[in-house]
Amino acid sequence: MVGVVSVAVNLLMALGMAGGAGLWIDRTGRPSRTRRVIAVVVGVALGALTWWGITSVDKLETTATGVVVSILASGLIFIAANKLFDLAPDRWAVFTTLVGAAGSFAVFAMLWGNRGIDDPALRTVVATAIGGVAGYLLGTVERSGQRLAIGIGAGGVLGALAASGMRNVGLKFTVEQREFVVWPILPYIDYGVLAGAILVGAVLGLLLWQARGRRNPLARSLLLGGTIGFFFGGWLLPSLGSATKTDAFVAAVGVGVGIGAYLGLKPIPDHSARGRIEVSARAYIFLVPALGFIASTLIIPTLRTLFLSFHDARGQEYVGFVNYGDVFGSPNIFNVDGWAGIFGSKLFWVGAVLLLIGVGVSVLMGRQSGYRISFSPGSGGLAALGALLALFAVFAALRGTVFNNLWWVVTVTVISTTAGLAIAVLADRSKGESVAKSLIFMPMAISFVGAGVIWRFMYLARDVSKPQTGVINTFWVGLGNLSLSRGPGFWIAALLSLALAALLVRLAIRAWRVGERGVGAGAAVCALPLVWFAYALWRGVGGFEVRDNGDVVASTIQFAQQAPFNNVWLMLVLIWIQTGFTMVIFSAAIKAVPSDLIEAARVDGASEAQAFWRVIIPQIAPTIGVVITTLIVLVMKVFDIVKVMTNGNFGTQVIANEMWQRAFTELNFGLGSALAVVLFIAVLPILYVNIRRMQKAAS
Amino acid sequence: MTTLSTTGGPGLGKRTYAFLRSIPTWVLWMLVLLWTIPSLGLLVNSFRTRNAQRASGWWAVVVENPSETLTLDNYVDILAAGAQGGLWRALLNSLAIALPATVIPIAFAAFAAYAFAWIDFKGREWLFIATVSLLAIPAQMSLIPLLQLYSGGGHLTLPILEKTVTLFPDLDLAGRHVSVWLTHTGFALPFAIFLLHNYISGLPKDIFESAVIDGADHFKIFWRLVIPLSVPVLAAFAIFQFLWTYNDYLIAVTMLGGAGQNFPATARIAALAGEFGQAEHLLTAGAFLSTLLPIIVFFALQRFFVTGILAGSVKG
Repeated sequence: MVGVVSVAVNLLMALGMAGGAGLWIDRTGRPSRTRRVIAVVVGVALGALTWWGITSVDKLETTATGVVVSILASGLIFIAANKLFDLAPDRWAVFTTLVGAAGSFAVFAMLWGNRGIDDPALRTVVATAIGGVAGYLLGTVERSGQRLAIGIGAGGVLGALAASGMRNVGLKFTVEQREFVVWPILPYIDYGVLAGAILVGAVLGLLLWQARGRRNPLARSLLLGGTIGFFFGGWLLPSLGSATKTDAFVAAVGVGVGIGAYLGLKPIPDHSARGRIEVSARAYIFLVPALGFIASTLIIPTLRTLFLSFHDARGQEYVGFVNYGDVFGSPNIFNVDGWAGIFGSKLFWVGAVLLLIGVGVSVLMGRQSGYRISFSPGSGGLAALGALLALFAVFAALRGTVFNNLWWVVTVTVISTTAGLAIAVLADRSKGESVAKSLIFMPMAISFVGAGVIWRFMYLARDVSKPQTGVINTFWVGLGNLSLSRGPGFWIAALLSLALAALLVRLAIRAWRVGERGVGAGAAVCALPLVWFAYALWRGVGGFEVRDNGDVVASTIQFAQQAPFNNVWLMLVLIWIQTGFTMVIFSAAIKAVPSDLIEAARVDGASEAQAFWRVIIPQIAPTIGVVITTLIVLVMKVFDIVKVMTNGNFGTQVIANEMWQRAFTELNFGLGSALAVVLFIAVLPILYVNIRRMQKAAS
Repeated sequence: MTTLSTTGGPGLGKRTYAFLRSIPTWVLWMLVLLWTIPSLGLLVNSFRTRNAQRASGWWAVVVENPSETLTLDNYVDILAAGAQGGLWRALLNSLAIALPATVIPIAFAAFAAYAFAWIDFKGREWLFIATVSLLAIPAQMSLIPLLQLYSGGGHLTLPILEKTVTLFPDLDLAGRHVSVWLTHTGFALPFAIFLLHNYISGLPKDIFESAVIDGADHFKIFWRLVIPLSVPVLAAFAIFQFLWTYNDYLIAVTMLGGAGQNFPATARIAALAGEFGQAEHLLTAGAFLSTLLPIIVFFALQRFFVTGILAGSVKG
């Protein structure tokens, strides 16, 4: 481990110097000695500082310092690499010198860092010098014979330099009770295998040469393939640590000569070729930091999670599909035993009837207007509401983590999208639009944890003997009292709602007579709940219960505890947060609909409702798609809210929280990984949709 | 746009129409009120004493004697040192996590986005799509391996040689803020590259061409032209990422594990919420303090935030 760190440090030192030099050369056309000295001094000082930061302070501080320094140093490496390739088009010799020096340095520093050679500092300095000189010569000498000689000579010398100092002892050292063994490095070569590897390499080189249209000289392709074969045969295939120095010399010098000869065979590129080298190198320099990060935090861990999901809790033994069996075999996670309860639930039948009515009306309206089916806000809304209620009944019956997650996805996605769209429409061009939108959008700035706490106080239920302090239970218990009291409050509330309903019915009749059917239907629909409310008040509604002995006592809703609908109360928190998001996006999309389109529809006699359903909705359909996919992915991963509000108790468990508990409190990495994979598979279709959309956008 | 007729047709009378037309606005403001009540209640309650919070709902503040029930004690108590250091420490931790986790990805992503947008290299298109498609991968897929990496280093056992190679040293990062930054950086990059690429690839081509004629190379173009021109999108991403990382709970609580003294505000509040009973009256003040900074940032820089949201509405 120390080895790796010291390699990093040494690389930084060298590249710091190279970067300093490069910076200076780039800035001015005319080199000045002072600048050169300053650049080198700065480079060395930075390198020394890095070294000091890593080694001198004790371990705890080393980590912090190391990270800060490594961030600075990565920045420096990055700039240095850029500056280095700036030199390629116009200062080819300087470029090749620096590349030669840095390349040899890197190889020797790696050996140094892994404690593979004796006298590492001296050898590294000498190697860097040789590499630099060779780079300079290859950057300036043009005659091919001389180039080949320079390449072979330098490669051979470097190989010999490495081989002569190689150790044959494995070093053991311990860091925090963990034992590390550095490999003994001398290879025991089987010459038959070596020859075979070279041959395979050369054949691959030949095939590649053929495949690339025979553009390059054959000799170079063969040499490159052969050298790579030599490297495999000399270093990777033999067993390390059980050989003589002769074998090490063969393996090191062979590879060195091969690389040297390959470089020597290449002519000095002309100006445009140098430009191409610069551009393609630049692309990779720009991309490597980001892609490296993505690979190490997303791609490799994803593969490892897949791997772990087929292993036991500690990740040691291969267990096949046992973890997946545990996931879908556990009644807490996947449980369809209650399916028969679906048909016994009132909610289901109410939902089904609403859905049928909605669809039926839509079909009838479609007959009139010549479509197969035509959803108006009324009939479509009715159908959607019915479907949602029926699904609620289904999810209330099918228990377990997986179904909870699906319930979350359906509810939050549908309600947030609808509510966001409705608010965007309401807010459009109304008074105080921006203030209203800001206030509804604001929960987006609040953390899920914060939102969980906020709603906990909304849902607070206290002992019925004390006054309620949660908003919703106060209303609920208050409603119960009002309904039971039959006092003045009761009569006022009941009569008020009936009067309002009568007013609405009158308006509906008038509107219907003058042909404003939309207004009429709307008013009539609004009157219904008011009548229902008056009726319910009379029947008795709200937070109370009648005991067996006839006593009537107040009763609160335990929002977090009463399964299965406590799930819905948790979903409400996410809906509260996400509706702002959907509203902002829909609002922007609606404003982007060209106004002449709407005008044209109006001129053709479309009502507002028709303009909305037939012009605006189709125009913003792609946005609706984006919002829905985004929400599905987000809701699928819901974690914080459940963790804070119930921690998965009372039948509210979701996959993300289940995964977290299995993996990080029970330390069952196998089961945790399997749950993560289930989550991953669930979002894969969305991933596919997103990729398709991006491909479309790109073309 | 309302679904009701606004044309003032015959028969219904002007007053009725005016009434009907004002309905959407009324409904809107009713919804706004509903949306605001939860936060408002929390804010009011955070200034009330423990006894007042337990005796009546926050709305009672309008009839109560302010000198008896209003107090700043909740704030004082929650900020002061507790077993893990007060909320002060947690708020500083939040900043110590969110600031680097915002700056580092910007630096990396800007270069990559520029390369994807303006440098012509082989395989550019598919590499870009592959990168950006990683947006939707759930963080859960990476958590276990990353925690193992931070707490034990990365080791690979070569299949034939039976030798273990250390790819990433054990730097003992688990429990430290660094591990949270690194994780956030990795998760943010696909989104950041996507967002910045959208903007940078839309910059006018002429400026690049004239810069090349003037002899500028890619590095120079990037620093002198692209970065200054991209300030709006950089700001949008920065605000989005800042809020995201400041409000994050999952990654912080996973990577910091038992190191309670390093917990950010979200993790501290969640822990506080888990201890039922005694400290509940402090929870209001704590929750409000932990959302104060995001809300300020949000209201002050809402324009940029909306831009980020709109452009990045595919982030998972």
